[in-house]
Amino acid sequence: MEIKYTIQGLLIYAAIGAYVLAFVTSLLRRGKAGHVLYIFGFIIAVFAFGYRWYHVGHVPLQNLFEVFLCLGMICYPVSLFCQRILRVGGRCVDMLIGAIVLFPAGFIFSAQPQQLPPALQSWLFAPHVAVYTLSYILMAKATFQALSQLTGKSYDGDEKLLQPEQATYRMICAGFPMLTLGLVLGSWWGKLAWGDYWGWDPKELWSLASWLVYVGYFHFRYMFGKKHARINSTWAIAGMVVIVITLLWANLSKLFSGLHSYAT
Amino acid sequence: MDIDKGLKNRIRRFAMWTTMVLIALLFCLSVYGAFLGPKRAKEFFNSIPLAVFWLLYIIILIAGIGLFRRLLRVPALLLIHAGCIFILAGALWSSTGGHELRQKLLGIDKIRTGQMVIYEGDLENLVALENNQQAKLPFSVKLKDFRIEYYKPEYLWVQSREGQSWKIPVETGGEFSLGADFGTVKILKVFENFKITIDGDKRRAIDDSGPGSNPAIEVEIKSPDGIVDTRYVFERFPGHSYPEDRLLLSYHRIISDYISELEIIKDGKVLAKKDIEVNHPLHFGGYHFYQSSYDAEAGQYTVLEVVSDSGLSLVYGGYLMLCIGVLWHLWLRHIFTGIKLKSE
Repeated sequence: MEIKYTIQGLLIYAAIGAYVLAFVTSLLRRGKAGHVLYIFGFIIAVFAFGYRWYHVGHVPLQNLFEVFLCLGMICYPVSLFCQRILRVGGRCVDMLIGAIVLFPAGFIFSAQPQQLPPALQSWLFAPHVAVYTLSYILMAKATFQALSQLTGKSYDGDEKLLQPEQATYRMICAGFPMLTLGLVLGSWWGKLAWGDYWGWDPKELWSLASWLVYVGYFHFRYMFGKKHARINSTWAIAGMVVIVITLLWANLSKLFSGLHSYAT
Repeated sequence: MDIDKGLKNRIRRFAMWTTMVLIALLFCLSVYGAFLGPKRAKEFFNSIPLAVFWLLYIIILIAGIGLFRRLLRVPALLLIHAGCIFILAGALWSSTGGHELRQKLLGIDKIRTGQMVIYEGDLENLVALENNQQAKLPFSVKLKDFRIEYYKPEYLWVQSREGQSWKIPVETGGEFSLGADFGTVKILKVFENFKITIDGDKRRAIDDSGPGSNPAIEVEIKSPDGIVDTRYVFERFPGHSYPEDRLLLSYHRIISDYISELEIIKDGKVLAKKDIEVNHPLHFGGYHFYQSSYDAEAGQYTVLEVVSDSGLSLVYGGYLMLCIGVLWHLWLRHIFTGIKLKSE
């Protein structure tokens, strides 16, 4: 646990506070006020990300602190996109996701600025991490929809929005291309930096495993459609579990030392 | 006719379940491989039983395209599945086993991967292979120069025994105040290759322009009561301090890049030249040359990773097909349908 008594830290804590307040306010059926707070939290998160960018002098996606900061920032636009374009609800839960993903940036990971090692000085660095970050948020939303399907509790009364099972599928459809792109861009970058497009590194293998869970999900849903909705939802949740392992355990555990160890 | 249809359906169902089993199996193998570590995982996934597994994957993908008309009718789905076949075929083609097989069957003798150690100014065509043997390239590689670049400014770290610390940019002539209790620190000189020469009975610190590397800085510490102490702080030999020293000094530089200036030479002619660095390899004659390691002591030689490019275009082609297919099927067709509906 590390409390950050810096401008960076204060911005993160303010964003967490705004997201939590937005969540509580929305739960209390004060939707508009909740939305305003959510926007406010997003603006602070943008400032926090921008401040970090200015401070380190490169796209801040180098380590887990920066990745979680980015996750906390993109929650709101993703939420808005899902609600308006994909007709997937769960804005209230998105506020909670925003606070959850900012928590490790605020309290767990070190904010010590680092210079980019030679391997990270590539134009592929930002797109590779950015598409993964985006896919993780989309898959996190899919997971909450799947949980909603399993528990039978829907947080949205809006009839224009999709039912949880369908919403889960749509979210995975939105996130999977990003997951694929992340894997392929990483492989391409690996070839340029390390000489091999596939190094059998633990992080690479966990990334492949998470990709395969969703490949399995698509095949299973193709086979049975919505007949086994609960299994579909369990599959989506399993995908998120493997993503969390890929993002955290594979980076932090000494069990998985490899080429991606600098990303901690 | 009906029997045919029933049989076809049974085969399709069998193919789907086989696919599911193979996906689950690859998932389990990936997780298992993650626990093995990169080196052992590479050996494991390149073993003969796994080569059979990869072939099985290719067969089921081809069978799937043949069995399910939808995969042929929907171009995006075809691209995704054909892309996976290309990736797997390319991976088998580029593997060590693939290289060995081609050597046995077709007599194509190509190095899969190896390392070259080249000293500055030298020409080299020998590649050290993974099995401790050596192989020759059909051309030579010359290392014109090797250099390491560092982030600027470099820093001198000063720490008091009470736990206070300062990060001072290393600039010759720069003076930095440590506060009323500790005085000032001044950077007098920066050495790339610190050496001591004996001139009569005097010892003198010089920056030797000859071979070798011993980065150091000469620092002047002036205490609040006016006592001046001159110290040398070495990057490679930290911890030169005495118990009576109030301040501990250390000198760190952060590498920003490794650069090898290379020339490809055959029959005395320069065929290609490139300054290679991490992320920017040299591609020539069916091989990629990567900056892999270097002489950390004196910076006199570079270590290059030599990797065959066989099968790479198949893999990259597969990646492109997979990405286009996935984006098309899951994103673009919905966007286009939405636009079409709106316009109607």
